[in-house]
Amino acid sequence: MTKLITILSLLVVLAGCDLYEQDEYQEYYVVESYLVANGNLQQVRLSTTSPIEEAYRFEDNTVSGATVEIQRLNPDSSITERYQYQEQRPGIYTPVNNTTIQEKQLYRLQITTSGGDEISSTTYVPGDFKTVNDLDPSYVYQSEQQVQITTTPSSYITERQTYFVFTISALQPNSLNLTPFYADQVDDDETDIEEFYVNSSGIVNEGNFERNSDQTITLRLPWLGVAFYGSNNIIVNAIDDNFYDFLRSHDTQSGGTTLSPGEIQNIRYNVDGGIGIFGSMASDTVNTCIERPQPPLICSQN
Amino acid sequence: MTVQGVKRIIILLGLILSAQLTYGQQSASINGYITDAQTGETLISANIAFKDSRKGTSSNTSGYFTLTDINPGTYTIVATYVGYQRYEQKITLEPGESLRLDIELKPEGFQLGEVVVESEREKEEQRDIGIAQMQTKLIKELPSVLQSDVFRSLQLLPGVKAASDFSSGLYIRGGSPDQTLILLDRTTVYNPSHFFGFFSTFNPDAVKDVRLYKGGYPAKYGGRLGSVLTIFNKDGNRNEFQGSVTAGLLSSRASIEGPFKKGSYMFAVRRSTLEPVLAILQNTTDNIPDSFYFLDVNGKVNYDANANNKLSLAFYTGTDNLKFPFSTDAGIDLNYGNQTLSSTWTHIFSEKVFSNFTVTGSRYFNYPSINLASTPIDRSNNIYDFSLKGDIEYLPNEDHEISTGFWVGNLTLKLQDSFDGEDTFSSRIQTQYGSWYVQDKWDISDQWTATPGLRVAGFSEGEYLRLEPRMSLEYRPTERIRLQGAYGRYNQFLTLISNEAFTGFDVWLTTDNGVPPAYGNQYVVGAKTIPWEGYGLDLELYYRSMNDLFELDPFISDQAGLPYNEIFRFGEGYAYGAELYFERQVGRLTGFAGYTFGVTRRKFPNFNDPISNQGTARYYPPKYDRIHDLNIVLQYDISNRWSTTVTFNYATGQAYTKPLGRTTAFDVPTSGLSFDQLVVGRVNASRLPDYNRLDFSFSRQGTFFGMGEAEWQFQIINAYSRRNVWFYNYDLDENPAEREAITLLPILPTISYTIDF
Repeated sequence: MTKLITILSLLVVLAGCDLYEQDEYQEYYVVESYLVANGNLQQVRLSTTSPIEEAYRFEDNTVSGATVEIQRLNPDSSITERYQYQEQRPGIYTPVNNTTIQEKQLYRLQITTSGGDEISSTTYVPGDFKTVNDLDPSYVYQSEQQVQITTTPSSYITERQTYFVFTISALQPNSLNLTPFYADQVDDDETDIEEFYVNSSGIVNEGNFERNSDQTITLRLPWLGVAFYGSNNIIVNAIDDNFYDFLRSHDTQSGGTTLSPGEIQNIRYNVDGGIGIFGSMASDTVNTCIERPQPPLICSQN
Repeated sequence: MTVQGVKRIIILLGLILSAQLTYGQQSASINGYITDAQTGETLISANIAFKDSRKGTSSNTSGYFTLTDINPGTYTIVATYVGYQRYEQKITLEPGESLRLDIELKPEGFQLGEVVVESEREKEEQRDIGIAQMQTKLIKELPSVLQSDVFRSLQLLPGVKAASDFSSGLYIRGGSPDQTLILLDRTTVYNPSHFFGFFSTFNPDAVKDVRLYKGGYPAKYGGRLGSVLTIFNKDGNRNEFQGSVTAGLLSSRASIEGPFKKGSYMFAVRRSTLEPVLAILQNTTDNIPDSFYFLDVNGKVNYDANANNKLSLAFYTGTDNLKFPFSTDAGIDLNYGNQTLSSTWTHIFSEKVFSNFTVTGSRYFNYPSINLASTPIDRSNNIYDFSLKGDIEYLPNEDHEISTGFWVGNLTLKLQDSFDGEDTFSSRIQTQYGSWYVQDKWDISDQWTATPGLRVAGFSEGEYLRLEPRMSLEYRPTERIRLQGAYGRYNQFLTLISNEAFTGFDVWLTTDNGVPPAYGNQYVVGAKTIPWEGYGLDLELYYRSMNDLFELDPFISDQAGLPYNEIFRFGEGYAYGAELYFERQVGRLTGFAGYTFGVTRRKFPNFNDPISNQGTARYYPPKYDRIHDLNIVLQYDISNRWSTTVTFNYATGQAYTKPLGRTTAFDVPTSGLSFDQLVVGRVNASRLPDYNRLDFSFSRQGTFFGMGEAEWQFQIINAYSRRNVWFYNYDLDENPAEREAITLLPILPTISYTIDF
């Protein structure tokens, strides 16, 4: 009996030891670069992560002396063209030559650090699209007539639907022009007004909208996206899978999902040899003025 | 098998049958209802036995019992039930006699220090493997936030964990709340919470019986991977009119019950009374809701047509409402609730065949609506569940108790999400479901009892048909020791989309093509002992597997345009543990202590995989996983007027994910913001500080100006104001990142006054 109790006690003690232990901090290379269809090659940032207990500044974590290259690939992943990058300042690499990004093409970011570590990531640039309707010069904020943008469809390497992100860039951003909801956020000192200069909708699936008979898609801008009265650039972005994974998993990490509070998951990176994002998109920009519901009117002054 | 073989079997069966018939002609039987002598309420799982014999049984969920195969003669029959005086009566049975014996048990009243001598069958039924019963009286006496609460009381039992002070959700043996089937008067309740999960919908004034099948549950039940909670509302006092009013600081309740010709009724209503508090706060504080209340109403009407036929009609309706303009040009409206209606016909075919048939209807509705700067975000979620179920018990002889039953129904789930006036997700699933079970409680000998069972469950959406074998075995080496084991296979066709912090957006979804049902096995072994008279010491060990778990993919931010099966993630899990339960039921000091050692793990593709080796998901503990959990509940009768109840809980800190590193994306072209990012290792590999809390309740009995009995209840929740941590929030706006502990309830005194008339 004594033996049995001893064995049972040992089993309980052993079972009580939590064998699921926390990992140690590990440093990762971090890349960041974006391609926009029919735009120019953009800079590449190369840095490392820092431990959570330490202050983080990009300048303190840069990775210099790396060989950075973006490659345009054939469908079989063989290389069609190479675009060389040079280090402009620590951790910031810029293209040696200006090159226009082609839609519906595969691009690979290839980095070799001075220590010989390889980092790579591949993106497919979504098919470009354009706005086919003319916007009114102005729209009264929160009126029944919302800003509607009709675009041609954007295609992707797979048959998946298009993932849109609306970006509203205010051209007259000042505290007097803040719409009420955003004015309240700023008044409460919760947020800096600068954070609303460029406002983003988050991911909006194409499935939210019906295709028109001519295959165009009519998108309606929610009033929530408008942070400032006055002139606004409205940018419609169709994003690739890397960007989609990055944005949605960043939302999840920030909370507000079905995960329990404190149950944090890594962001979904599609980068080999490191973390970060090498994403792409197709975009189109239109402009209109958002008028106050009551005087003083702003659009008529422009 | 040869023809000869078949003949042999038929002859053998014939011999057995004829032997039974012959035996049955000579033997006698007793049957009847066991009820409360004061109120006429039927008593579930009351024990009835012959004095100085092991022969006995217990009443079923209708309060009915049958004893068969009794040799003619004179016996002393004993009936017992916790909290009631022992019943003894001498009876004489003639050969072939079927004696109808309806027994009325008298409540114990106030009998301090009395040790009730119990029959050998005492409480056996209540202590079958995996079963726990919670007395309504104890639920009302336990210290509780806002209101005495059924679920929060159950959370004190070993094997049952709470997610937080703010959640009444039942996390049983590693299962999430949706893995527990909740039946109110045999009707499924889909969102049993008020105040968005803070406490449960069940009004203790209306409840008669609360029974939790924690695991390895019998073939009679199905549809959930983990557990079953059955709650029966009171029938109502069959002898006299009776009422009760309780006024609390933040909620109040009232109930009435009484008899009518050949029947009884019961109505209970409960409503939050936050309005005065809100009014004060609105004058002094920003961001206070315009309105915030819950309301529920329970009712039951019984009609005893004759000795063999009873009819009952029960209903429940409850709702939660919130109107909260939380910012300029922004607000949230929440409105959710449940409605149930059931009608049961209880029919005694013969002294050996008992049955009840129930028609049920259950509705869950949820209409959350958020308006941000004239951009409406709306959801309309409805569940309509209509079913017919029947249970038949057949006692062919004293060794067998055969049960069989069916449950067929039509389930409609409607979910419509819209953003800015456009539908973003729409799902309407109408499915038929059905199940049939058979089980036999077979007393092989005085020491051995086996209960084999089989359940067949079908679900039309996706056309799934599943077999669920069940088995339990019990061995009694001595009168005070019961060794038990159970195995069961379980399937679940529904999943709950919820968040432990907030149940106001709860949505149920079902299996479909490409979304197979979750399934799992449960293995339980245990020992139930009576070390001394009036004490109990139980140990149970369990292991359970969970496969094809399906839940909403947390990484999908917009479901519009996605096929139904792509909105889910599919995973697996397991849980094992040990539960120790010690109780004392005699004397001035009563109570119990429950200790649980438990481990729970889950795994989903692309979740908790190493950054450097993505696609290799690892098992992780859910947040509610707690390795050690100790609950102590003590009740002490200080005097005839004063009594106190103390609860203490100590538990290992919950699992959380400790960030290891950070970085930032600076150039995100679709936003003007930098995107701070945390880098984590294993998900939930760290532990919050240990949890502990001490609650007190003092009750003082008295009278209300001679009109009726009254009770003051003073309670202190978290007596030493331990700041238990709910979770850590990491503020990346600070550099270096700052960790903020979000804490649970501080010390919280409450007071209530109850008048019984």
